[in-house]
Amino acid sequence: MLSIEKVTKRYDGHTAVDDLSLVIEPGGVFGLLGPNGAGKTTIIRMVMNIIEPDEGRISIFGEPLSEKMKEKVGYLPEERGMYRKMKVLEHLVFLGEIKGISSSVAHERSRKWLEKVGLSEWRDKTVESLSKGMQQKIQFISTVLHEPQLVILDEPFSGLDPINTEMLKDIITDMKDAGKTVVLSTHMMDQVEKLCGRICLINKGKKILEGGLSDIKMKMSKNVVSIRFSGDRRHLETWPEVEKVVDFGQDLSITLKGGADPNGILRHALDNGRVERFEIGEMSLHDIFIAKVKEKGGEIDEEDVQGR
Amino acid sequence: MKKMFKVVKREYLERVKKKSFLIGTILGPALMAVLIFAPMLFMKYTPETRTRIAVIDMTGAGIFGRLQAALTDTLADGTPKYELRKVDVAGGDLAGTKNELNYEIESDVLEGYIVLPEDVIEKGEANFYGKRLGNIKTMERFESALDNTVIGIRLEIEGIDDASVEKLTKGLKVEVIQVKEGKEETGKGFDSMFMSSFMFVMMLYMTILMWGIAVQRSIIEEKNNRVIEVMLSSLRPIDLLAGKILGVGAVGLTQYLIWAVFGVVLALYGMSMGGPVAEVAASLSIGTMAFFVAYYLLGFLFYATLFAGIGSVCNTDQEAQQLQQPIVLCLVFTILVPMMIIQNPDSMFATVISLIPFFTPIVMFMRINILTPPVWQIVLSFLIMIGSIYAAALLSAKIFRIGILMYGKRPDLREMIKWMRRA
Repeated sequence: MLSIEKVTKRYDGHTAVDDLSLVIEPGGVFGLLGPNGAGKTTIIRMVMNIIEPDEGRISIFGEPLSEKMKEKVGYLPEERGMYRKMKVLEHLVFLGEIKGISSSVAHERSRKWLEKVGLSEWRDKTVESLSKGMQQKIQFISTVLHEPQLVILDEPFSGLDPINTEMLKDIITDMKDAGKTVVLSTHMMDQVEKLCGRICLINKGKKILEGGLSDIKMKMSKNVVSIRFSGDRRHLETWPEVEKVVDFGQDLSITLKGGADPNGILRHALDNGRVERFEIGEMSLHDIFIAKVKEKGGEIDEEDVQGR
Repeated sequence: MKKMFKVVKREYLERVKKKSFLIGTILGPALMAVLIFAPMLFMKYTPETRTRIAVIDMTGAGIFGRLQAALTDTLADGTPKYELRKVDVAGGDLAGTKNELNYEIESDVLEGYIVLPEDVIEKGEANFYGKRLGNIKTMERFESALDNTVIGIRLEIEGIDDASVEKLTKGLKVEVIQVKEGKEETGKGFDSMFMSSFMFVMMLYMTILMWGIAVQRSIIEEKNNRVIEVMLSSLRPIDLLAGKILGVGAVGLTQYLIWAVFGVVLALYGMSMGGPVAEVAASLSIGTMAFFVAYYLLGFLFYATLFAGIGSVCNTDQEAQQLQQPIVLCLVFTILVPMMIIQNPDSMFATVISLIPFFTPIVMFMRINILTPPVWQIVLSFLIMIGSIYAAALLSAKIFRIGILMYGKRPDLREMIKWMRRA
């Protein structure tokens, strides 16, 4: 679907994207994650053929980038903008038309979408007379009006009210169910955790980690469990696969030795007392990101990484 | 191409639908008409007044009498236009007499006085004193009457009799008839031709500047409201740039069309009315109009492309105003030269100026309007403009491509040159 090969982009003095390769398969939601300034927007702009890479190649649908291809992609830029003096319906139709769909099709789909988001009676009002939340809705519609196979959303949740956040999540899920490919770029890693099937973590223009979200979580998380246990905790502390136990009062956090199966300690606990709560601890994406960056000896600007 | 025309359509409709467009289109020419015709009408209909002039004749050759006999012009009500008064120098005190007359001028009893020294016949020099230089025509008439009188006296001294003097000093009246496209055009003075040329020059200047800046502002506005990235994800930067320029240019043409309709109505009305309006109206021809539109398009495309380049590197109108200054000055220069061009439309200066792209649209149009230059020069001016527009578009497109996504600090000239080389 989308393939980025050894792409580098330099701006005066600094390298925004550094020898980055990435393949996104068709279908599903792909998360392009990283702190502010990691190079996500630069990557997306290169994919949209708005700026050119200094080195490397990008192809979409197996073809090199071209103007025609822009019609098959929907793009919601981080910086939202609309023609404020235009009427809502006119605006949608115009953006549809420059994406290559005919005026009549654009009219028909715009009407349907406006109805769907409850803005039908606003269609002849100017964009500037709409509230910010309404404008955001119009902007989403314009991103998908031409029914693209690939949708790229750059920081889609920033500045959204809770209602629109939910609506956008629904739209993303609908698109995924319809077999479309969605690329989500954001620095709010934990917010998109539940949406993404695959992710790529980026820091300072370089790829830190790529893969299926569940695989990554499994690899990174399975050696910590949290347990609420009534019985003698010494039974747990002396269990050979346990490395360390931290008592939080009600719950115990147990770090297992490498390669240990969390089910082993659960069985052992059930044999020696009563288990009220048991959870295989998941590291949040935010924690994974920090762990990985540190592992590679990189630096993190903690302010730019927002986990929760 | 198809997408570019969608942009053209959007830009065009957005502007034409605005109320301010309609108001500006109607008020603009109305204001201009007032500016141009009001002084003409004012001059024409200002009633002439009596002019009182004192003459200090120190020659004793009877100049005063002859002058009085020559200046028999009358005002509309039949009373004499010139009221001459002979003043003698009392006791040889010229300074004292002049003082008295100066006082009279100050208290508006007198418009002015002339001192004819004893040797005025030989030397031909005299001084006129007055508070206001006054009506040029009135002064000219007075001067020529005096001139004729002095020449007459000289001839008499040489022994030529009265009757012969009149015959010999009879002036020559030249009526100017312009030959245009091989045809004589009578009844069309150079005055009205200058008026119509100047009116068109002002219109070219105003529309090129106004719509050129409109392109620049619209780019800055789109940069600021961030819609530009949405656009670029759908079409090429060059399509957006060209669409904007052509869309705005079409608005200018629409404005002309509206003016042309008004103009035809006004011309028909004006011709029936007579006077200066009719003269200007009569000086219009299809050819003039065609050149006018052609040079508007060339001038607009050239300047708008440059303004677009400037707009794409600026974040605010204020920033852009600084950068656009040299270009605006070029445009201002072209409306300052018509006075020189009109005196000598075929001079080296006029030819060279009219072939420099910054000045071509207005100056060449002006020359064509006054005295059609050789065809090769007109053709050359078109080629030069087309070439310059192409060059400007290449440069602007490169700056545009990079500049429109840059926010914050404005790039300096060195950076911009780097972009031009790189892109």
